[in-house]
Amino acid sequence: MPHSNSLPPKENALFKRILRCYEHKQYKNGLKFAKQILSNPKFAEHGETLAMKGLTLNCLGRKDEAYEYVRRGLRNDLKSPVCWHVYGLLQRSDKKYDEAIKCYRNALKWEKENIQILRDLSLLQIQMRDLEGYKDTRYQLFILRPTQRASWIGFAMSYHLLGDYEIANSILDAYRTNQMKGPYDYEHSELLLYQNMVLAESGQYERALQHLHKFQSQILDKLSIKETSGEYYLKLKRFKDAEAVYEDLLKRNPENVMYYQKLVEAKQLSDPDEKVAFYDVYKKEYPRAIAPRRLQLTEACLPAFESLVDEYLRHGLHKGIPPLFMDLRSLYADQSKADTIEKLIEQYMDCLSKSGTFGPKADEIKQPASALLWTYYFAAQHYDYKQDTDRALKYIDAAIDHTPTLIELYIVKGRIYKHAGDPVRAYGWLEEAQAMDTADRYVNSKCARYMLRAGHVQRAEDMCAKFTREGVPATENLNEMQCMWFQTEAAAAYQRLKQWGEALKKAHEVDRHFSEIMEDQFDFHSYCMRKMTLRSYVGLLRLEDVLRAHPFYFRCARVAIQVYLRLYAHPLQDVPQTQEPDTGELEH
Amino acid sequence: MTRAKIELGDVTPHNIKQLKKLNTVVFPVSYNDKFYKDVLEAGELAKLAYYNDIVVGAVCCRIDTSDNSRRLYIMTLGCLYPYRRLGIGTLMVEHVLKYVEQDGNFDSIFLHVQVNNEGAIDFYKKFGFEIVETKEHYYKRIEPADAHVLQKTIRQPQYTTLYNGTVPHAKTNGHD
Repeated sequence: MPHSNSLPPKENALFKRILRCYEHKQYKNGLKFAKQILSNPKFAEHGETLAMKGLTLNCLGRKDEAYEYVRRGLRNDLKSPVCWHVYGLLQRSDKKYDEAIKCYRNALKWEKENIQILRDLSLLQIQMRDLEGYKDTRYQLFILRPTQRASWIGFAMSYHLLGDYEIANSILDAYRTNQMKGPYDYEHSELLLYQNMVLAESGQYERALQHLHKFQSQILDKLSIKETSGEYYLKLKRFKDAEAVYEDLLKRNPENVMYYQKLVEAKQLSDPDEKVAFYDVYKKEYPRAIAPRRLQLTEACLPAFESLVDEYLRHGLHKGIPPLFMDLRSLYADQSKADTIEKLIEQYMDCLSKSGTFGPKADEIKQPASALLWTYYFAAQHYDYKQDTDRALKYIDAAIDHTPTLIELYIVKGRIYKHAGDPVRAYGWLEEAQAMDTADRYVNSKCARYMLRAGHVQRAEDMCAKFTREGVPATENLNEMQCMWFQTEAAAAYQRLKQWGEALKKAHEVDRHFSEIMEDQFDFHSYCMRKMTLRSYVGLLRLEDVLRAHPFYFRCARVAIQVYLRLYAHPLQDVPQTQEPDTGELEH
Repeated sequence: MTRAKIELGDVTPHNIKQLKKLNTVVFPVSYNDKFYKDVLEAGELAKLAYYNDIVVGAVCCRIDTSDNSRRLYIMTLGCLYPYRRLGIGTLMVEHVLKYVEQDGNFDSIFLHVQVNNEGAIDFYKKFGFEIVETKEHYYKRIEPADAHVLQKTIRQPQYTTLYNGTVPHAKTNGHD
C-alpha cells in the first residue's frame, strides 16, 4: 500500500496476519499480533494497526473500545484507505449505512481502484437506494473487472433500476454475445428472462416478444415463456395468438383463475351472456375443474344464475366443502344473487330434513347424512353475514344438535357472537372448539385471537404457549418468530385496556420486525447476483420499497400514534405502576 | 355421486373431547374421568368412526378377566342419530371381531343393553350375539333399569395353518 506510514517488513508481516485472522474469525489471535506491533514504542500509534485492533474488538462484542481504537487509528493516519475502510465496516456493523458510505468514499479518495471497497460501497448504495451512486460504483467495478460476470450484471442492473432500459439492455446484449458460452443452464436461462423483463418494462412488447421467441430453446422455465408471451400478445392486441397461448396454459392448469380472465380478454368478450357461454365450454372441457364453475357464477345474472348456483351449492354441500360460504360470499354484493342463494338454502334444509334430498322432485338423489349438516352450517354463515343473529344462531345450533363433534360449528358460533358484539361469549365458543382438537394450530391461533379481542392477553399467551417452544415464555418465542398477527392484536388489546406502555411495547416489536426485514435484504444484494435469480431480486427490491405499507405495520403504527397522542394530552403521573394486568376471569 | 367415506381412527389426548361429546349425546348414562383415562391406554380397543371425515361414532372396549375366563367387554359402541343405518356400527363391530380373532385368546365377547333397546338387540344378533342373562336394576338413573347381557361365544383358537402344517391337530372344546 503506497503511503507514508508503512511498517518495516517484520511488522508488516504481523499486520498481514492480523488481516488474515480477521478474515478467518480468529479474533483472539488477531489481538495478539496487534499487541506485538503496538508494544513497540515506535509503532504504538500506528494508525492501521490501531484501526484493525478496533475492528477485531468489535467482533468480540467490545463496541466502545472498538470505536475508540478505530477513531484513534484514523486520527493518526487520515490518508489511509485501510483506516477509512475499517471505520466504514464498523459503522456498517452498527447499521449506520449513511456514515459507512461516507467512510468508503473517503477510503476510495486514497485508493481509487480497491475492488473490495468498491464492492462494499455498491452493496451499501443499493441497500440505501442511492441508485445514482450505485450506478457510478458499478461502472467503476465494470471497468476494473470487465471479465467477471458479476461486473456486467451489476452494471446492467444499475441502469435498469434507474429506468434506463435501453442501456441496460445493450449491456446485457453485449455480455450475452461476447461473454456467454454454453452450457445453457439455469443461470443462463434466468439471465435471458431477466433481459426479457427489462425489455418488457421499457414498454417494447414487440421486441420483448421477439426476444422471447428467439431464445425459447435456451430458456428452461417453460411456464414463464408461455405466461409472458400471453401477456405480450394481449398488450400488442394480437388476440388470436393470445387465445392460443391461454388455451394451452389451461390444459396445464384448468384451475388457474387468471388464465380464464385473460382468455376472456383475448376473446374480447364483454357481454355477460357471452361470458356465461364461454365458461360453459370450459366446464365441458374440464368437468372436474372448479374454477370455470365459480367464475361463471360471477358473470351470470338471473334467471340463469339460479340453476348455476343451485348446481354449485349442491356439489359443495354433497361433498362437504367447509369453506363453501367463504367461496361464495363475494357474490353477495349483488342482492338478487344473495336472495337466490337464501331461497335455495331454505329449500335444501326443508327437503333434506324431510326426505334426505336437495329438492322436492320425486327423482332426486338421496344425499349423504352430512349434507343437512353442511347446509345448516352454510345457512348459519349466510344469516350471520346478513347480521340476522337470531337466525344464524338457530341454524348453528341445529347443526350442533345434528353433529356435535364437528369443530367448525363451534368456530362459526363464536364468530356469530363476535359479529353480534359479544367478544366474551365469542371466545368461549372458540375455547370449546380448541379443546376438541388440541393438535390443530389453526383453531389454537383463532382462539388466542378471540381471547385478545376480549381483552384476555394472559390467556391468549397461555393458549399460544401450547404451540411455542418449551422453556421460553410464549411472548418471547412469538416475538422471535415474528408472529405479527399476535403482536398487532396484542397491541390493540393493551390499548383497549389502557395499558399504554404494553401497547407501545408490542407496536415497537412489530416495527422492529419490519426493520429486520429491511436489514435482511442486505445479504441478497450479493447472493442474488451470484445465483442469477435476478427477476426475483428485482421483485424483492420493489417489495422492500413498499414494505411498510403492510397492514400489520399500519395497524401497529396507528396504535402507537394514538397512544403517543393520548400520552401527550394526558401525561402520566409520576407514580410507578405496580398493578398487574387485569387478566382475571370475565363473566361468561 | 361418490359414496361416503367411512373409516376408523385412534383416540388421542388431542381429540378425546370429541369422544366425550359423542358419548354425552349418544348414551343416556355418563362416564367418569377414569373411563376416558383408560380409553387413552386402550389402543385398538377404542376407536373413533369417521363419516366423510367427521367423527360420528365410537367404540370402547376393555378386557375382562373375571370368572376364570378371558372376555372382551364392549363398554360403549354408538353412532350419532343422523348417521345410523349407514354401516358405521357394523364397521366398528367388525373391527372388534377382527381384534378378537387376531388375538386368538378370548372366550367370548359381551355387553349390556337396556332391555327396551330392540334396535341394538337385533343389531348384535346379526353378528351372532345372544341374550344370556338379564340383570335387574343394572342402571341406576334411567328407565327401564334392567339390562340384557348379550354374548358371542368365540371358539377356542384352532391351530391349523401354523408352522408349515407341522402343528398338532385342531383342538375343539365341545362347541363345534
